[in-house]
Amino acid sequence: MTGGVFNPHILGFFCHWCCYAAADAAGVSRYQYPPNVRVIRVMCTGRIDLRFILEAFGCGADGVFTGG
Amino acid sequence: MGECHYQSGNYEAMIIAEICRQVLKDVGVNPERMVLEWASAAEAPRFVELITRYVSAVKAIGPLGSAEGEDKEAIIRMHLKAGVKAASARKVRTALGKLAKDIKKSGDYNPQIISDGVTKKVFPAFREERLAQEIQICLAETGPCKSADISEKTGGDIKEIGKILETLSRKELVKKQGSNWYGIGN
Repeated sequence: MTGGVFNPHILGFFCHWCCYAAADAAGVSRYQYPPNVRVIRVMCTGRIDLRFILEAFGCGADGVFTGG
Repeated sequence: MGECHYQSGNYEAMIIAEICRQVLKDVGVNPERMVLEWASAAEAPRFVELITRYVSAVKAIGPLGSAEGEDKEAIIRMHLKAGVKAASARKVRTALGKLAKDIKKSGDYNPQIISDGVTKKVFPAFREERLAQEIQICLAETGPCKSADISEKTGGDIKEIGKILETLSRKELVKKQGSNWYGIGN
């Protein structure tokens, strides 16, 4: 919360082969998108565990974006 | 979908996402805070659109805790702490693994089938494990208390709590003296 505006902390789990590459391509082609997402690259979305997501919320994330 | 580098990885993720949604709903967190989306490596514009839409959706929901209800933050925090432990429990993991295997064998990843399977086979095991963890946290933090107090704190049904307390006392993790329950160890 800065200056009364709510800036959510969002954790992103991105698949190395899909979403992570898409995010990379978006960066290279200079698309603008919100900077609220902190990215964790995983080799596959199937690797994501229920525990990862609950732990993210437990550590204060306002949202978890899983991209495959 | 179906474009996964590891062939079925994204289908497996659908099962995890479904249990996650049910768990978040159960602990009083808006399940829309967690999303599972697909964008292939060539779809940068789609990715940008998904992220933009998701960030504005979370902004509309508000911060975790205060947006879920007044003075809910502490209780959600405890639920999540117990949830992390429950998610590592062997019973929950085997239930999840077995369901994933069965669905993979049938080859039918219909969202309705996944949702039903999770509701029937994984969620009950998770809830029981979470409540067991919460009972132990509760007894360790506040000392001896009655099962009604535990039920009120954890949000579990009194019968459900009673059953779990019996199981825990058989494992010698809790002990009953009079009408009070004590935690053993931790």
